Amino acid sequence: MPLPPSPTAAAAEDAPGLRKIIHVDMDAFYASVEQRDAPELRGRPVAVGGSAARGVVAAASYEARAFGVRSAMPSARAVQLCPELIFRRPRFEVYRAVSQQIRAIFLDYTPHVEPLSLDEAYLDVTRDLRGIGSATRIAELIRQRIRAETGLTASAGVSYNKFLAKLASDQNKPDGLCVIRPGEGAAFVASLPVARFHGVGPRGAEKMAGLGIATGADLRRLDLATLRQHFGAQADYLYRAARGIDLRAVMADRPRKSVGAERTFDRDLSSGSVLRETLETIIDLAWDRIARADASGRTVTLKLKFRDFSAMSRARSVAAPIATRVALAEVARGLLDQVLPLPQPVRLMGVTLSALDEPGQDADAGATAPGQAQLPF
Amino acid sequence: MKATIERATLLRCLSHVQSVVERRNTIPILSNVLIEASANNSVRLMATDLDLQIVESMPAVSVEGPGAITVSAHLLFDIARKLPDGSQVSLETADNRMIVKAGRSRFQLPTLPRDDFPVIVEGDLPTSFEIPARVLAELIDRTRFAISTEETRYYLNGIFFHVADEVLKAAATDGHRLARYTLTRPEGAEGMPDVIVPRKCVGELRKLLEEVLDTNVLLDLSASKVRFTLGGEHGVVLTSKLIDGTFPDYSRVIPTANDKLLKLDPRSFYEGVDRVATIATEKTRAVKMALETDRVTLSVTSPDNGTAAEELPADYTAQGFEIGFNANYLKDILSQIDGDTVELHLADAGAPTLIRKDDKSPALYVLMPMRV
Repeated sequence: MPLPPSPTAAAAEDAPGLRKIIHVDMDAFYASVEQRDAPELRGRPVAVGGSAARGVVAAASYEARAFGVRSAMPSARAVQLCPELIFRRPRFEVYRAVSQQIRAIFLDYTPHVEPLSLDEAYLDVTRDLRGIGSATRIAELIRQRIRAETGLTASAGVSYNKFLAKLASDQNKPDGLCVIRPGEGAAFVASLPVARFHGVGPRGAEKMAGLGIATGADLRRLDLATLRQHFGAQADYLYRAARGIDLRAVMADRPRKSVGAERTFDRDLSSGSVLRETLETIIDLAWDRIARADASGRTVTLKLKFRDFSAMSRARSVAAPIATRVALAEVARGLLDQVLPLPQPVRLMGVTLSALDEPGQDADAGATAPGQAQLPF
Repeated sequence: MKATIERATLLRCLSHVQSVVERRNTIPILSNVLIEASANNSVRLMATDLDLQIVESMPAVSVEGPGAITVSAHLLFDIARKLPDGSQVSLETADNRMIVKAGRSRFQLPTLPRDDFPVIVEGDLPTSFEIPARVLAELIDRTRFAISTEETRYYLNGIFFHVADEVLKAAATDGHRLARYTLTRPEGAEGMPDVIVPRKCVGELRKLLEEVLDTNVLLDLSASKVRFTLGGEHGVVLTSKLIDGTFPDYSRVIPTANDKLLKLDPRSFYEGVDRVATIATEKTRAVKMALETDRVTLSVTSPDNGTAAEELPADYTAQGFEIGFNANYLKDILSQIDGDTVELHLADAGAPTLIRKDDKSPALYVLMPMRV
């Protein structure tokens, strides 16, 4: 069967066979930083996010997770589960500084680093800069150095593609390492509960359970047509994932088309005031990524996914590039107000900034040409 | 399966269907074309990218064994291209392989089973009507340049079709310019849902129309799918998912009270814009138009490349003023005007400008200015 050429075909020529990918994921990142910097928080359940009745948990310490507190959970619910929970406002500038520290460590081993967010990244170490050769050894060295240089722990997954590396990093969390060797991928995925697949949330898992799908092996038995019938756009991904296949390359400094953040909620949200409050948290998360990417853009998109998995998005473009959180928030709030009241409860909300300015690169065919007026729809 | 087909027939058919197949596919079977030979000496080819599907039938010289198989579309197309002109091509399956024979050549291609080939479920397509292919082609030509390529505004990534009163309207916009084409509502289109046909479908359809300009095209559609049937029995059927989104209420941005009318020759206007824009860099692609009585002066000022100006005769009697436009946008629109005169209905330097051949033209354009 002719597989399409892998995007890293050039790298594969030098190292015949498989790639070596590491996924590094900081453990309970925001919460761990808070515990590191405030000794009185250590060993106690901590949540980062809005403590207000309408806020949402952005990150939870392992002590809090033991009570069932999860990120993206409404703060009120988190307090119900864990009355002792200590809330901290996020300090993104600190997280950003730590993120730069760990990124510098990664770059000591390979230039092929693809950050996914402040606290996780893929590394392609098929050919590492230090000639170490063993991806497992590199992952161990990176974890040691992160601990020594930042006082924080990280988990790492090692495998021959991104999908498996990410699954592996999740396997022995916190402060763990897991290696999925060539030949083991399909078996690893087969035994895995589907909820562990990236992109399959609690609802997705529930739906699969209804179809008798509990594990990767169950999923693998379905052909593409059946998957499409039940899971629509996600079908292709699931089809490959169930086989442990992932051909994506680790993209260092990939050109961004948009930057932002989204969250799937623990419970569907419907009241306007809850949605507005939650939007603020998502704006925080989105702005954090925008600032970190040093991005500026003119189009703000609000994305909503409803209880029945249907989606809606609303976008607005502004004349001057968005350069502050205030400007981002103003447009995002306007977009939300415009769609309220909603036809049904919301399971996911996201805010992204696009039509990004690319420094040093000329804008595409007038799309962002300065001075170009927009049709007043 | 075993069938023999004229190389020219196979090549023409493959050239249509392979164009739907994406070059890069992570799902192997999407790189393949489904070949189905039936006993009535007919062979059917099918290709899909899961959003767009094409099915075309062609006559075979003979079908010795009915059956179906899938092989790489681009590979088979490349082979068919290189086979000798006038030859007959035999396609035969054996042991998970398809053997292609023509003249002295013999190829063995890997296959994937036909049962794995995904088919778009069309569902019920309650609205059906016909449009002359030539009209549909013109509709596409006049509007598709304005389709947005910005993925965040996915609902602008296609041509919007809707019926209003006794007409069918097609519109496309990227937020800077808008193109609209109006035709008499075809019999059967009444009550049709508003639909947005994706850009890729529009592009493939336009290519196919070129070969059947004197026929009618049958459209069958629902709110989520559209099917275009071209060229009768041994014809092509293109089925596409529609863009699931809401097209903006564009009629609001079509100016109705612009009182400054400029008329000039579209060809010399186009050429003038093109000439002065030579010195425009990527960042300053604005062309300034200075309007005076019966005269327009086009000019471009570039910090790097100097200045350019050109004066054009025109019909203009309203008050003089200056307005700027993106040179490429102006050229896109002017190249759609095929008469001796183009009308620009202007208001001021910040307002939408209406451009059309005349008030009888089925096509109409709205262009937003640029600050100059």
